Amino acid sequence: MTSDPLTTGADARPAGIDGYPGPFPVGRYAAGLRERLREFAHVCVLGEASGVRFGRGPNVYFELRDGDGGIPCAMWRDDFDRSGLTEQDFRDGVEVVAAGGCDYYPGGATASPRFSFRVKQLKLAGEGDLLVQLEQLRRRLAEEGLFERQKLLARPALPKRIGVVTAETGAARRDFLAGLERRGWHGTIVWGYAPVQDRRAAGAIARAIQDLAVVGEVETIVVTRGGGSIADLWAFCDETLCRTVALLPVPVISAVGHHVDRTLIDDVAAICCSTPTHAAEAAVAVDCALARGLLLDHARRVDKRGRAAVLDRARALAALSRAPRDRVAAHRTHLHQKAREMRAASRRWLALRRDNQRRMAAQDIDRKREAAAATVVTGRARLNARAAALTRAADALEARRREALRSHGAAIRGHDPERALERGYAIALGPDGTPLGSAAAVREARDFELRMADGRVPARVREEEGE
Amino acid sequence: MTTQPVSYESAVERLEEIIKRLDTGEAGLRETLDLCREGRELIEYSAGELDAVGKGLEELKLDELIERLEGAAQ
Repeated sequence: MTSDPLTTGADARPAGIDGYPGPFPVGRYAAGLRERLREFAHVCVLGEASGVRFGRGPNVYFELRDGDGGIPCAMWRDDFDRSGLTEQDFRDGVEVVAAGGCDYYPGGATASPRFSFRVKQLKLAGEGDLLVQLEQLRRRLAEEGLFERQKLLARPALPKRIGVVTAETGAARRDFLAGLERRGWHGTIVWGYAPVQDRRAAGAIARAIQDLAVVGEVETIVVTRGGGSIADLWAFCDETLCRTVALLPVPVISAVGHHVDRTLIDDVAAICCSTPTHAAEAAVAVDCALARGLLLDHARRVDKRGRAAVLDRARALAALSRAPRDRVAAHRTHLHQKAREMRAASRRWLALRRDNQRRMAAQDIDRKREAAAATVVTGRARLNARAAALTRAADALEARRREALRSHGAAIRGHDPERALERGYAIALGPDGTPLGSAAAVREARDFELRMADGRVPARVREEEGE
Repeated sequence: MTTQPVSYESAVERLEEIIKRLDTGEAGLRETLDLCREGRELIEYSAGELDAVGKGLEELKLDELIERLEGAAQ
């Protein structure tokens, strides 16, 4: 009889509760519980991940839930890495299938016990699973170097014949033609029609690509279709198709889905384009209309340079042939120039000399003028001295003359009748004012005047005197 | 001595080199004449390549092309 790990060792314990075995030490019970839980069948469970935690410890923790409930999960990091998922793939909200079984961590004196579903293997469910498979295949092809082979092929900028793998009916075909029209490209398109819708189309697509590559003269192959879900585009992630493209000697341009879609053929192709229109522009790198204009310009420039080169040399030769004559003319010109310079120099010298002479004469005149001025000053001083002497002599002479005149005047005044009048004498004056010098004259005049010093007095000779 | 270009883009690339060299004015007469002759050949080649994709769009199905090639072989 085997003992129950949950209830062994129950002896020598305090009394329990009626109706319940035990009491048992809880650590031993927890260890027994772990063993019992680990005996549960290992299963796969499906649910949505939440609370995903990548810590620094050895475990990845998360919960798996659906509408009816959930369980806490733990997964060793090594097991997670082996699952092929990355931290980016495994995030909250993704639906996963987890394989494993129940486990229980009994904890310890300080560590908390914990129930978890120990996950041994993990994979994304639904579309997520497809994406994981795609990433795994992408990594494998990349490691084999298959992404580089197409990119090393030389791509013609102006192919004459382009092979196109696409659906016979569809917008991609129309858009591709419109893109070529914009390039002005009117070469030959070889259509390799193939179904492009589901994953079973991969074989037909690969065959069409191979046929286009071997049929000859197809210089570039374009594989294109419109957008869709990853399931719709799955054919373009087919490993065989991608390996076929990678090893093809003709460059392949892929334009599958919209720019957000990234199929595996986009990685192996020489160029990956977001739309059929872009694929057309990538297939024909040359804008034909623009190139024609550019070529015309190049032709003109080459022609112009060629003509110019010949003309330049012809001109140079003509110049050389004229060289001797031009040399003599140049010498003549030089000589004339020198003669003009000499003449000018001579004129300048004469003018300079004339100026010097003028300057010297002016200086001589100035000196003489200054000497004459000095002489004038001396003469003027001497003249002034003489004039002063003359003045003095004239003054003395005048003084002498005045003295003589005064003495003559005094002498004359001594004889002046007026002085006699002043002494009381009178003068008899005739009617005409003439002095009457004699008594006879007075008698004859009869009427006369007596002039005294202080006035005149009329007088008459008495009759008896007169008779 | 000129060599036949292997592609349109190599022809245009060489043509641009030639024009660049001619534009420097450093090439001698002999070199200039040689470059002009090579340039004219490249222009003819490039124009031919452009003409080849300018005559009109031709659309063939893969099967039609195979039939045509097989017919030509017989």
